[in-house]
Amino acid sequence: MLLSGELRSRLERLSLVTRRRVIAQWAGRHSSRHKGESLDFADYRQYVPGDDFRRIDHNLWARLGVLLVRQFEAEEELPLRVVLDASRSMGFYRKLEVARVLAGMVAYLGLAGGDRVQVYALAGAGAPLLQMGPAGRHLSRWPQLEAWLEGISAGGGGELAPTLRKLAGEGVARGALVLVSDLLSPDFGPALDGLGVGAGGVVLHVLAAEELDPGLAGDLRLADSESNDELEVSTSEEAMRRYRKALENFATEAAGRSRRAGLDYVLVPATDDAPMQVLGALARAEALA
Amino acid sequence: MSFLIPAGFALAALAGPLIVLYMLRSRRPRVEVPSTMLWERAEIPVSSAVPWQRLRWTPLLLLQLAVLAAFVLTLARPFYRERTLLGPHTAFVFDTSGSMAMAGRLETAKAQALALTNDLSEANQVSIVEAGPIPRVLLAFGRDPVLVEEAITSLEAGGGVADLSGAVRLARGLATPDRPTNVLLLTDGGNQPLPEEPVAGAEMLRFDDFADNVAVAAWSLEASTEGTTRAFLNLVNYGAETRTVSAEVAVNGLPAGSLEVEVPAGGSARATTPVDAGPGDLVTVRLLDHRDALPLDDEATLIVGTASERLVSMTGEGSPFLEALVDAVPGFTNQGEGTPAILISDGGRLPAFDRPTWLIAPEATPSGVSASQFAGNLAVTYQRPGEPILDSVDLSGLVVGEAQVVEAPRWLTLVRAGEVPLIMLGEINGHRVAYFTFDLTKSNLPVQVGFPILGARLLSWLAGGAAADASSEPAGTPIALATPAGTTAQVTMPAGDVRSLLEGSAQFADTSQPGVYRVAYVDAEGAVTPGPIAVRRFVSDESAGGSREIATTGAATETEEATVRIREWAPWVIAAALLLMALEWWVGHQRPFWRRTKSAPGPVTP
Repeated sequence: MLLSGELRSRLERLSLVTRRRVIAQWAGRHSSRHKGESLDFADYRQYVPGDDFRRIDHNLWARLGVLLVRQFEAEEELPLRVVLDASRSMGFYRKLEVARVLAGMVAYLGLAGGDRVQVYALAGAGAPLLQMGPAGRHLSRWPQLEAWLEGISAGGGGELAPTLRKLAGEGVARGALVLVSDLLSPDFGPALDGLGVGAGGVVLHVLAAEELDPGLAGDLRLADSESNDELEVSTSEEAMRRYRKALENFATEAAGRSRRAGLDYVLVPATDDAPMQVLGALARAEALA
Repeated sequence: MSFLIPAGFALAALAGPLIVLYMLRSRRPRVEVPSTMLWERAEIPVSSAVPWQRLRWTPLLLLQLAVLAAFVLTLARPFYRERTLLGPHTAFVFDTSGSMAMAGRLETAKAQALALTNDLSEANQVSIVEAGPIPRVLLAFGRDPVLVEEAITSLEAGGGVADLSGAVRLARGLATPDRPTNVLLLTDGGNQPLPEEPVAGAEMLRFDDFADNVAVAAWSLEASTEGTTRAFLNLVNYGAETRTVSAEVAVNGLPAGSLEVEVPAGGSARATTPVDAGPGDLVTVRLLDHRDALPLDDEATLIVGTASERLVSMTGEGSPFLEALVDAVPGFTNQGEGTPAILISDGGRLPAFDRPTWLIAPEATPSGVSASQFAGNLAVTYQRPGEPILDSVDLSGLVVGEAQVVEAPRWLTLVRAGEVPLIMLGEINGHRVAYFTFDLTKSNLPVQVGFPILGARLLSWLAGGAAADASSEPAGTPIALATPAGTTAQVTMPAGDVRSLLEGSAQFADTSQPGVYRVAYVDAEGAVTPGPIAVRRFVSDESAGGSREIATTGAATETEEATVRIREWAPWVIAAALLLMALEWWVGHQRPFWRRTKSAPGPVTP
């Protein structure tokens, strides 16, 4: 079971909050660019025949002599896309296991809120670079989503940017996006830059404790799991200091590019309490209500 | 610190190759990581291609150097010098007298000897001499630690008096011109004076542990006035508290009565019980539910023999009253040939106390009795109530012109005038002694009505019983054998084991253990003929557990080399090496602590 019963009941009491209006086809709980039937006033426009005359602002007509119709915010669903990075580098340590839980957790939040949820996987063993998983608008679809996520295994690799651009081309900009990845790809910057989304979202940057604080010692040849490139490294106090600095810059750059793309950013150590840490971070970022 | 093999330090040269190994760059192992991206971004300088690198003093290297140093030390065999009591030839003289059974003295002595002989070398030889009633050599010039240990562990404390002088002579007899002998006396000092002091060429290891002890000081049979036989028990309490002791009397192993006696601290007490025993019966008394520091003296046995007339000899001034008395008492005579059973010493020098003695106003006092002055014109004020010897004897009219004022805390006072003892009973060298502190001629005792009765009972008590010839000899007294032709003697020991003697043996001397010895004669066809039964008793003087220092002049060896032993540090150095190796292994299999980071990052929301 991907999510524990306790976690699911906790998620059912929460809902995602978007910062931007979304463009969607079905009515939902999130404010839309379409004006519609809600209590939140949005704008005025000229009356045209056929408009509901109950929306004519009689005060303005009395003062200005112009027939203006009041417009309200439309309540629409949030198209939520959850993207799970299943490249080979995610197969190390417990990263994919934790990433699957985080992706499932966000998908469950969307389903519980009545949003239209679509899950994707980047790379994966014996799979195309971008796999489209099941979609749904209600918790009744959770078993299918859960089974699909549990079936994802790490494998493959390649550049991140083209794959995410392809995802953007499928209309990500019209909804919210959650990317769960270690971002360990040389083109992670352009990949994040290409994720201009309409309703915001979050990048969950999953790194293992062994990557945050490598226990390597001595003179080593490091082999990249995805490119098979080798790199000679001589560990020392100075080398570890430089590594930690590079890691800090990496996280800072990822956070900056995510923010510019309209996404929140959370660096998540791949540990058992990662879901709670992510919920806490999202709450602090006012992305949860 | 000195070294037996200084050349072992050459092994220290291995430190050079070890350090070189650390300076050589090893082939880099391949490690697959999720991504090398961060390592590339870190721009970590890669070591150059030269095969050498700067030496880094890691804890692992330091530990390996320490292990090497420990092994170098092990090979160099460091040692120190220590004085030892062992010389080229050391004769251990073990006192196995009864007092050495007190509070485990002999066991302590054996443990010390075993510790000393644990590290016997080719340069040491050891002899073991047992100082029992009859000294004997258990091991001569032993070098094998197993044989030495066997000889030492076979030693047991007996019930007799140690002949320390004889044992020392025996030990000295083992010396040879090329191999001087150290004599180590393992003793509490014994009760017998040594003929020469100080003992030359010897060292004494003194064992004087002491604990409370209640002892059977005397056990005998006597005829009562009613013509029956009574057993007499005399207990002495060497402890600091009054003890109430229960005793069981058995005839031939079957219960025949019991006694309960309260024995004052530092004093003695007597009790009697009727016993139905005849010639050949073994009569035993055993203290029940009683545990003390010397169990050997908690039991005594005597054997009832056939009555016979006993010879009484007299020394000193003598007295017609005494001669008439001996003549008048049935079973005793002062005329005849043979070994006197009883000695009457009337004044003069102290006798040898080699048999029961009636001691009358001697010139000097025996061991355990001290005299300070004389007192005159004494009238009897005390007669020990319930005393069988004084039964129906009225001494209230006894007047003494002059008597020794003696102190004898362990003697039983029967009659006294005020605080001056007049008649006492005791034991010296395992033999009964009746002590009159006054000269009969300076008293009116011979004309008292009760004098013949008193004298008869005293003779009977000294003889160990009048109803029968009940006897027991001090432990260590040999058993005379009359082995029939064509047979060999077998002796069943008190513990039940059987000793077979050589054909023609005239006596059996290994009688240091108190108890019953049964002799049997076995012919060539295996037919067994019962022989004599002998009883050996614990010598009561040993029950006191006294100890004393024996002056010695030190070991016979004069050169320092003879008494200095080389002791190696090897066990400690090897232990340190193993410990360091274990530590090195552990450190080698741990993640280097000097490379650990101290904090783990949590979630970050920039």
